[in-house]
Amino acid sequence: MLTDLYSRRALVWAFANRDFATRYRSSVLGWAWSLLQPLATLVVFAAVFSVVFRIQAPPLGNGNGSSYAAFLFTGIVTWNLFSSILNLSMTQLKSNGELLKKVQFPAWTPILGASIVQLVQVLLELVVLILMFLFLRNIGWTWILAVPILLGTLLFSQGVGLVLSVLNARYGDVQYIVAVVLGAMYFLTPVLYPVSMVEGQNELLGWVIKLNPMTWYVQGMHDVMYSLVAPPLWAIASLVLGGIVVFWLGFLAFERGSEDIGELL
Amino acid sequence: MSPMAGTHEYAVDVQGVGKRFLRHADRRNSLKERIVRGKAKNTQDFWAVRDVSLRIPQGAVYGLIGHNGSGKSTLLKMIGGIYRPTEGSIATQGRVAALIELGAGFHPDMTGRENIALNGSILGLSRKEIAAVTDEIIDFSGLNEFINDPVKHYSSGMYVRLGFSVAVHMKPDVLLVDEVLAVGDEEFQRKCFDHLYSLRRAGKTIIVVSHGLGQLEGLCDEVAWLERGQMQQHGPAVETIAAYLRKVNAEEAARNPLVSAVREDEAVRAGDQTVRAVSAQVTDAGGTAISHAETGTTFAVQIGITAPESVLGPNVRVALQHDSGTLVTMLSNHRWGIDFGTIQGDHTVRMAVPDNPLLPGRYRVHIDIFDYTGSRLLDSWNDAVEFAVRSPRGEIGQGLVELPIEVTFE
Repeated sequence: MLTDLYSRRALVWAFANRDFATRYRSSVLGWAWSLLQPLATLVVFAAVFSVVFRIQAPPLGNGNGSSYAAFLFTGIVTWNLFSSILNLSMTQLKSNGELLKKVQFPAWTPILGASIVQLVQVLLELVVLILMFLFLRNIGWTWILAVPILLGTLLFSQGVGLVLSVLNARYGDVQYIVAVVLGAMYFLTPVLYPVSMVEGQNELLGWVIKLNPMTWYVQGMHDVMYSLVAPPLWAIASLVLGGIVVFWLGFLAFERGSEDIGELL
Repeated sequence: MSPMAGTHEYAVDVQGVGKRFLRHADRRNSLKERIVRGKAKNTQDFWAVRDVSLRIPQGAVYGLIGHNGSGKSTLLKMIGGIYRPTEGSIATQGRVAALIELGAGFHPDMTGRENIALNGSILGLSRKEIAAVTDEIIDFSGLNEFINDPVKHYSSGMYVRLGFSVAVHMKPDVLLVDEVLAVGDEEFQRKCFDHLYSLRRAGKTIIVVSHGLGQLEGLCDEVAWLERGQMQQHGPAVETIAAYLRKVNAEEAARNPLVSAVREDEAVRAGDQTVRAVSAQVTDAGGTAISHAETGTTFAVQIGITAPESVLGPNVRVALQHDSGTLVTMLSNHRWGIDFGTIQGDHTVRMAVPDNPLLPGRYRVHIDIFDYTGSRLLDSWNDAVEFAVRSPRGEIGQGLVELPIEVTFE
């Protein structure tokens, strides 16, 4: 599998280039648009949830009070990485269908190419997040740990995305189901609220949230970016390992499921 | 796959290959259907290709012919690795490039140059290899001026030219060509053919699917004829194409009405009607009505005439007009020095054309009858009948007639 990935890197890169070049080609503001959506979400959610619902963010790592907006945006960036990779991967086989029907090449290459382009957007969001924390003077060495955590998130998302892309090519309903599930999962991941608010309130809900893998990644990001706390090494390691395993399984499932993709599309 | 003795000589080795499709109407591509109705029943299976074996030697140009739906393109897609065979095995040597649809991988918003790079990667070239051939591709396509414009502004001809140029410059060991030779203008088509010939000289293997039998005859060493997904015949190009055309012509003959007309009495007539043409037919050498004539085979135009009173040696003149409007020739008994003598009553005039030199196309028959001096019109019947000429070989659109020639070479 690794040799496959390596030998086809030029093609993955070519697809990334294509998507990169065409993504905002006919819009004036270009990449600025890609930041507008998460920032608008941030402003609206920060206003609604902190004012109307009075959600209290945990204290910042620097001890200077708390910032719901910063807490929220940390979660949004992590969640967006997951959901955008998932959604983008899911539609890649169909949008490259004409090509896959006529030329023989590994079907996962346009998916990974699209994800690379999406990563650029995530990095832009990350820059905004870092600027936000710099402004709040909430800085720590634990930031370094965001790299393995986001890497784990990426691999996990891509693994799931690969499986969903094949399922979606076979069954047209999959994207609707995924939309519903993602919508629900968003609220079952501590993006809008700290997990502490649920603990002790409702046993069942607490368990559902804790068993949601995205909770682990988002919480990890909250720890290292917002609270400036280093999680134990085994926790970081298992986030990365979990991502690797899910990606590996997803890739294998994809290889099996996409053998006759040229006829399915 | 275990290496077999001698396998390396074959660029493509197809053994007992079959491809089964599910009928589209029965495909379970929604989850609900899958759950509610379960797995698809096998009764709707359809074998597009079955039991096909062929070995294509390295450096050969191989043609696939057959009716629409005979499985040619499916077989080609399996060789190209786009479809997986349901049964049997296919082994190919070297890089296989498919010209299945030109420009399939082009992105409309990207420029010609960017698309060359993308298509090159899709077809398996490294960046270095792409950079090395890009200028050559641009030159070949003749699109120098437009290469930095987005391809969505290209005309369909430009699009296809770029597609062809990219595909043939991918240095394939095996090139698959599906019905794409009929694209572009005359000049570009010639360029494509020249290029295919040069690839052939360079020892590349080419597999062509086409309905242009004349083109295939010139280009291919061997041809396989598929019929309803099964191998009907394969071997030297000329023989296989001839066998295929015999079958096609026979089928058409059986399906088409005989070329024969009886003149209606109400028809507007010119001439003084002392002799009248009453019926017209196209027949074979033996006088049996046929549905089409064949290049190289004797056929005859047979005209029924009637003269109520006795008339001195009339001249029956048959004009053959090609569908395009060109008058090909006039057949006339006087011209050949044949006098019918004094006639009265019903007669049949047969004008046989030995070893029919007419090339494939549709021809209209006009009949005029003149008196023995050739100056007074007795009867005229325009568009008496119309008949098709078919060829046992592939020459279509190569003119109107085949002239007997003598070639010398010093």
